[in-house]
Amino acid sequence: MFANLTDKFQTIFKKIKNKGKLNENDIKNYLHEIRIALLEADVNYKVVKEFINSLHEKIKQEKISESLTPAQQIIKIVNGEITYTLGYKQNDIRMNPAPPTIIMLVGLQGTGKTTTAVKIANYFRKKGHFPLLIATDIYRPAAIEQLQVLGEKSDLPVFSMGRNESAVNIVKAAINYSSKKNHDMLIIDTAGRLHIDDKLMDELQEIDKNIPLQEELLIVDAMAGQDAVNSAKVFCDKIKVSGIILTKLDGDTRGGVALSLKTVLGVPIKFIGTGEKVDNFEPFHPERMASRILGMGDVLTLIEKVETAYDIDELKKMDKKIKDHNFDLNDFHLQLKKMKDIGSVDQIMDMVPGFNNLKNRIDVAKLGDREGELKKVEAIISSMTVEERENPSIINGGRRKRISRGSGTQLSDINRLLKQFNQIKEMFKKGSKQKNFSLN
Amino acid sequence: MNIKNIFYQFKEGLYKTRIEFTNRLGLLFSSSKDKTDFLEKLEELLILSDLGTSATAEIMNEFQQINFKEYKENNFIFFKEKLKVILIDILNSTTSDIKINEDRLNVIMLVGVNGSGKTSVAGKIAYRLKRINKDIIIVPADTFRAAAIQQLKILADKVGVEMINAKEGADPASVVYDGISAALARKKNIIIIDTAGRLHTKTNLMNELEKIKRVIQKEANGWPLEILQTIDATMGQNAIAQAKSFNKSLGVTGIALTKMDGTSKGGIVIAIKKELDIPVKLISCGEKLNNLYDFKVAEFVEALLD
Repeated sequence: MFANLTDKFQTIFKKIKNKGKLNENDIKNYLHEIRIALLEADVNYKVVKEFINSLHEKIKQEKISESLTPAQQIIKIVNGEITYTLGYKQNDIRMNPAPPTIIMLVGLQGTGKTTTAVKIANYFRKKGHFPLLIATDIYRPAAIEQLQVLGEKSDLPVFSMGRNESAVNIVKAAINYSSKKNHDMLIIDTAGRLHIDDKLMDELQEIDKNIPLQEELLIVDAMAGQDAVNSAKVFCDKIKVSGIILTKLDGDTRGGVALSLKTVLGVPIKFIGTGEKVDNFEPFHPERMASRILGMGDVLTLIEKVETAYDIDELKKMDKKIKDHNFDLNDFHLQLKKMKDIGSVDQIMDMVPGFNNLKNRIDVAKLGDREGELKKVEAIISSMTVEERENPSIINGGRRKRISRGSGTQLSDINRLLKQFNQIKEMFKKGSKQKNFSLN
Repeated sequence: MNIKNIFYQFKEGLYKTRIEFTNRLGLLFSSSKDKTDFLEKLEELLILSDLGTSATAEIMNEFQQINFKEYKENNFIFFKEKLKVILIDILNSTTSDIKINEDRLNVIMLVGVNGSGKTSVAGKIAYRLKRINKDIIIVPADTFRAAAIQQLKILADKVGVEMINAKEGADPASVVYDGISAALARKKNIIIIDTAGRLHTKTNLMNELEKIKRVIQKEANGWPLEILQTIDATMGQNAIAQAKSFNKSLGVTGIALTKMDGTSKGGIVIAIKKELDIPVKLISCGEKLNNLYDFKVAEFVEALLD
């Protein structure tokens, strides 16, 4: 995420650190470098202009040119400016005190509305809501089917009426339907459209006027260029856009759009999409994002992810199992799965301060292939009997052959898994002998 | 097909792009106080058109030397001609089209990031080639995205070409293998392969594409293989990273620039050309099946500045 911009900032900061005391000319040069870095990252031209002016003002105010350690101060100022540009504080979804809360998703073609609709529904279901997805893309071939299939995969209900009803009528019917089924949240997936397509923009306005919406969220591709703010602006002019969701942040986007939208539109970014899986979706925290952009990591998000993956009771149970030497292959499997929930290796590295640099030097792709490994482990463990899982020491050569056939893996895969498991168990044994060892 | 006609449609499609750009060009002169002011506005215009910092710097260099007073007196025709020459020079006027070999199977594979318009372009290419009586088979190798196969099937039916069957979740390389076998057995002239969208940074997904290419090379050895990457014209400088990565994995033979019917300036074409030597072959602007055009440098620049 934002790796390129991060690299550029770190190079510039390093130069400033090495330079020591700065004169007016140095400051001008560094500001120029920051300007180019931002423009290369697709930050909107006008936003860059404002950003650099504001930065220059603050640098003058703080009398950086007299400072003996200007680097620290400049980093602090840049951090503050970026946080401010990104929107300053986190913004939640406005909930309707008298449910249902109705959310409409709009945007250009191919920005990821349908995928995002399912991600939002999944996110709020985890928080105890009962969402209904509404398919209103009556234009693109098979768009309704796409939402239906995705909904089905995640076990989320989808409301659709085919392609012959108008979008606003579909929404009205869905509201009617949802009250009988007690849905407290409705998520409307709309067709992708160009902001200059008047006919389709009218369709959105009709929904905007006739349906009591809590949120109208604009979906924006994080890789978009300078024109992103123009198209977003038209959406904001025509309907009451209340927030933005940035998608495809898992690529190597330089994130210029993220830095541009809040300033130009005055509308906050509320969520970000960070991968193809339905769980790859998180609230947008400007201060944490600023920290990530400057290569200072994002430990808060990492902690939150670990907290969601593990609950305290589970931890205590696991702790006891380890202490009693009852840690078996079932537990091992569970732990591996939890690790996967927290994120891929490169996602985690993004969040750890200083690891960002490391990322360029190691082959993240190889580390990231844990998913393939995990699939193998899952297949192997599923091919074992209950007895074998609880007491792996009984797995002899004959059993290994059977498991290998059953799971479609090599004997060496099974040997490696058992060896790893034994090593971990050994580690736990040693650990639990120490007085203060505890997972809590 | 009548070239003039196509060009006319193409110009119509680019209408918004052109209006935006030329309006700004006009403003550039009428509102510039002095040379510094002019240069700053020119830079703004170029950056806002997604030309990228390096192409912009190159063009700015050319304009550093101008005699502002003379330019102002001669109206902005002067300026426009100069800009035109520079842009054509960067784009290098050699154009390359999709070449179809008459006596053997031609393989066209579409690749690109999510939402860049692969499936739509696949339909449009099929439509275009069908109109010149080519015998086509479509292969749905996007077995990942929900309902992608249905979407392509609807397009194939609309165009009236055959599509082989595939199941969601199937191995895309094996779908391609089946497609090529079917194409050979039925003596088809062209096979169009639609692949799943993928971010260029996902190594395992890029490996999957490499595997598909290997299958094609093995089964359709020595036959013309066109690997077209779709790039969304509204993309920023990230499009360069996309093109670089797909090119490194597959050896992209051409780019199809999509969504040119918006207000985006399409300057990314120039940035890509400058950074990489992959020709832009097709331009897609509009939702209709016939909204697909050959990319012609001189005409593109002309249309942009006209």
